[in-house]
Amino acid sequence: MGPFREHRRWRSAKPKVERDRAGRSPGAFALLRAIIILMFGALTLQLINLQVIQGDEYKQRAEINALREIPLPSSRGLIFDRNGQPLVQNSARFSAAIVPGDLPKRGEAAVYRLLSNVLNVPVEEIDQKVREGAKGQGEYSPAVIKDDIDRDAALILMELAPYAPGLQVITEPSRRYLSGSLLSHVLGYTGPISAEEHAELGDEGYLIQDFIGKSGVESQYESILRGKPGKKLIEVDAGGRELKVISERRPIDGSNLVLSIDLDLQRKAAEVLSEYAGASDNAAAAVMDVKTGELLAMVSQPGFDNNIFSGPLSSESLAALVDSPGKPLVNHLIADRYAPGSTFKTIVGAGALQEGVAAPWTTITSRGYITVENEFDPNVVYVYPDWAPLGALDFYGGIAMSSNVYFYYLAGGKSDEGFRGLGEDKVAQYARAFGFGEPTGVDLPGESPGLVPDSAWKEEAIGEPWTLGDTYNFGIGQGYVAATPLQVLTAISAMANGGDLLTPRVVKEFQDSHGKTLVSPEPALRNQVPIDDQNMGTLRAAMRQSVTAGVAKNAAVAGVEVAGKTGTAEFGPRLSNGKYETHGWFVGFAPYNDPQIAIVVFVQRGSGGNDASPAAAKILDFYFNGPRLAQQVDRP
Amino acid sequence: MIYSRAARHFDFLLLAIAAGLVAYGGILIYSAHLSAYPDGVDLGHPLTKQIMFACLGLGITLFVAWLDYRIFGQMAVGLYASAVLMLVAVLFIGDSVYGSRRWFTLAGQQIQASEVAKLFVIVALARYLADRQPRIQEVQVFLISLVMAAVPAGLVLVEPDMGTAMVFGAVWVGMVLMAGVPPKHVLVLVGLAVSLIPFALIVVLGDYQRERIHLFFDPNSDPLGGGFNILQAENAIGSGGLFGRGLTEGTQTQLDFLQTSTTDYIFAVLGEELGFLGAVLLLALFTALLFRGIRAATLSRDHFGRLIATGIVIMILFQVFINIAVNIRLVPVTGIPLPFVSQGGSSLLMLFAAIGLLEGIVLRHRPIEF
Repeated sequence: MGPFREHRRWRSAKPKVERDRAGRSPGAFALLRAIIILMFGALTLQLINLQVIQGDEYKQRAEINALREIPLPSSRGLIFDRNGQPLVQNSARFSAAIVPGDLPKRGEAAVYRLLSNVLNVPVEEIDQKVREGAKGQGEYSPAVIKDDIDRDAALILMELAPYAPGLQVITEPSRRYLSGSLLSHVLGYTGPISAEEHAELGDEGYLIQDFIGKSGVESQYESILRGKPGKKLIEVDAGGRELKVISERRPIDGSNLVLSIDLDLQRKAAEVLSEYAGASDNAAAAVMDVKTGELLAMVSQPGFDNNIFSGPLSSESLAALVDSPGKPLVNHLIADRYAPGSTFKTIVGAGALQEGVAAPWTTITSRGYITVENEFDPNVVYVYPDWAPLGALDFYGGIAMSSNVYFYYLAGGKSDEGFRGLGEDKVAQYARAFGFGEPTGVDLPGESPGLVPDSAWKEEAIGEPWTLGDTYNFGIGQGYVAATPLQVLTAISAMANGGDLLTPRVVKEFQDSHGKTLVSPEPALRNQVPIDDQNMGTLRAAMRQSVTAGVAKNAAVAGVEVAGKTGTAEFGPRLSNGKYETHGWFVGFAPYNDPQIAIVVFVQRGSGGNDASPAAAKILDFYFNGPRLAQQVDRP
Repeated sequence: MIYSRAARHFDFLLLAIAAGLVAYGGILIYSAHLSAYPDGVDLGHPLTKQIMFACLGLGITLFVAWLDYRIFGQMAVGLYASAVLMLVAVLFIGDSVYGSRRWFTLAGQQIQASEVAKLFVIVALARYLADRQPRIQEVQVFLISLVMAAVPAGLVLVEPDMGTAMVFGAVWVGMVLMAGVPPKHVLVLVGLAVSLIPFALIVVLGDYQRERIHLFFDPNSDPLGGGFNILQAENAIGSGGLFGRGLTEGTQTQLDFLQTSTTDYIFAVLGEELGFLGAVLLLALFTALLFRGIRAATLSRDHFGRLIATGIVIMILFQVFINIAVNIRLVPVTGIPLPFVSQGGSSLLMLFAAIGLLEGIVLRHRPIEF
């Protein structure tokens, strides 16, 4: 009651109050009015600031607020072999994640339990991953609990998601490669776009979570396979729900690729190569259509299963792939260069015939070696060996028996006998004419240009003057010269087809998603090799003789006239027995009279005659005889 | 007799302005609810309810005006006691909404205790200060009036409802100054209060208020959480520009970016859809209303009436100011409805009762002529 103690006196006070009516200062009311004006004036000033001065800016902000751009992904083009066999499939990869910030305040244990039951992951582990995720990437980035979960589990979790706040099932597009390691180098693989790639390609609408071709045709034809993703602009409410579509650009699906590869031939080549690779770290084989440049088979071993890149890849297994001595991720046909060894004699031979250094009847006798005196000190004598004392050989014999001495003469000459050779510059010139020393231009990424040495190069790279001995080594494909197996194949292919150096390719045609052909690229001529038909004929005949009566006898195939050249190229340090390890090569073409295909076989440790040649024979046999037989069985 | 007198002195303009504000609010409530009630207005629509409350309010105005306001002076003790009782009760049996207890449910209606309490406390303070006119200079009177205002303000603060507590404070300051308390008393107190701000920030304010003050200065620290409303209201008002985006055309309002868009943030709806001109119209209406309230105070025949009118004017003024200032980010967020405009029964009925008191003061501005 305190303050109202004087309650009773109130009535009696009334007349006094009434008298007081006009008593109080009208100034107080004026002040109150002024305060009202002042306070409302302050509000008005801020309103002018917000609405009149910054109005346009806020209007823009409000518009952005209500609009969202939704990407509409295009589906990636498929890839087929030349006979229409599918090589890839598009599928989805699911992972289970939790957005820490969306978890119910006190109910996260229930969400964890649910996830634990479906995924068989202990609750403690989930809790830990959520904590780590929240700490590492923030509350509103999904923390992945389990990667690559199976489809059934993903569907169950998607059903449960509305009742388990914070739970998220992440779906990513994924490529499945149906032929596994068989075509891994040709197809390549896709992977999450890297920060650098994104910075470079951001203009083309790549999103940070997109996948992009990382190697092989997946990378080479990325823009064609990808198509054009669309997008739509939608108006959303504050909850992010779509209200209406304001504009939409439909995605254009990627085009399909038809490879020139024949999957059956590829499989056979891989099989044969494994059989003959022996102790090699790696081996490679390729078959090319000499008229078009299409590659019918392209095997590099060891391979890898490119499907592993579609799933989570531990850094250990990636390191194992990278560090393995055979370098499985490398396509040895195009990315590695080797001494071409005696296969290079075909080029020196062609040059020698063309330059008149040699004629088919030019006879040189191999006593098993030649000697060269040192220019300044005649007491110092260098010995250049042949692989055997082969006796007197004409041009055909020189190729067929793969005489080193014969080609020492053709490349470097023998001044004391008055024999003038091509000289290193001419050898280099013809090597380049056959495509050595620069990438073949095959439609695959990561090609090595190889190396064609000459005196200027040696001065610069080694710091020593070019010597006659260098020319001799050059003449038999040893020393500094290095080529990729594919370069050797395209060179042989040019010899087979009469001199057209073609750009090899693995894609035969582009199709739309309904299988309609969009483009079939024409054969691309890189260079017309400057060798007369007659000389080419002589060279081919010599290569034919190599298979019929020379060192390439193991390359012979029943029913098909094969021509070719072996190579056994020394590499690495000298062994304790004074010899070197050798690469085994065979390059050749068939049929001899009407060449259709050219072949290269390379084994990193082996011999041209005993390993590469029989391997080539088996592949050629399958190509010329195998499918025909198979067709007869298929068609009753 | 009373009717002829009513016809002569009744402030029709005051009531008309109040009704105009309710109608203005009704339009905004309709627009803000369009996405939730796309089929138009029917019996279940919040606007229908608002109109019903307004009609009831009109009745209350006439009834309160018809009663001699001095009756309320005699009831002052009871009114004050029941105000405090309600504020205590709501802390225990109230419904918790948005983390604070402000409402309790009576006969199916949610009643906001502080709305009713505000008016009761104004009446009680007016009565006390009017009674103490001869001793108005004494510190004791000043301090007792302070306690009378501080008890309900403190209870409201506990709910927590910072805004209403501030309204209590403003009303008290205005009333004691109008009653003739020496301004230096008030100045000392205000000085004391200001010096206690750091202490208050640390000890008295809950996490809830500290968070709101932090968000006021940096709403972008939590743009999707606590800062969401602040930023979206600012966006809405700013995007209205000079002429507004048109009624029912504001994307912020219609796409539900504004929360509590018919109560605490109804001004953001107005700012977005009717623009600066709409906002100025609203402020003009309030200015007119408050000036009519001051007129009632000047006409009052006694201290009691004048103090009630002053309290009511200051109460409405501060509610309008705080509400709009929160919307346009001049002061930290504190939930307070915009008088007459916001959707809400308790507030509307209380305000119409207040208008009734003002009318009653105007009607009896000179001795009854028998």
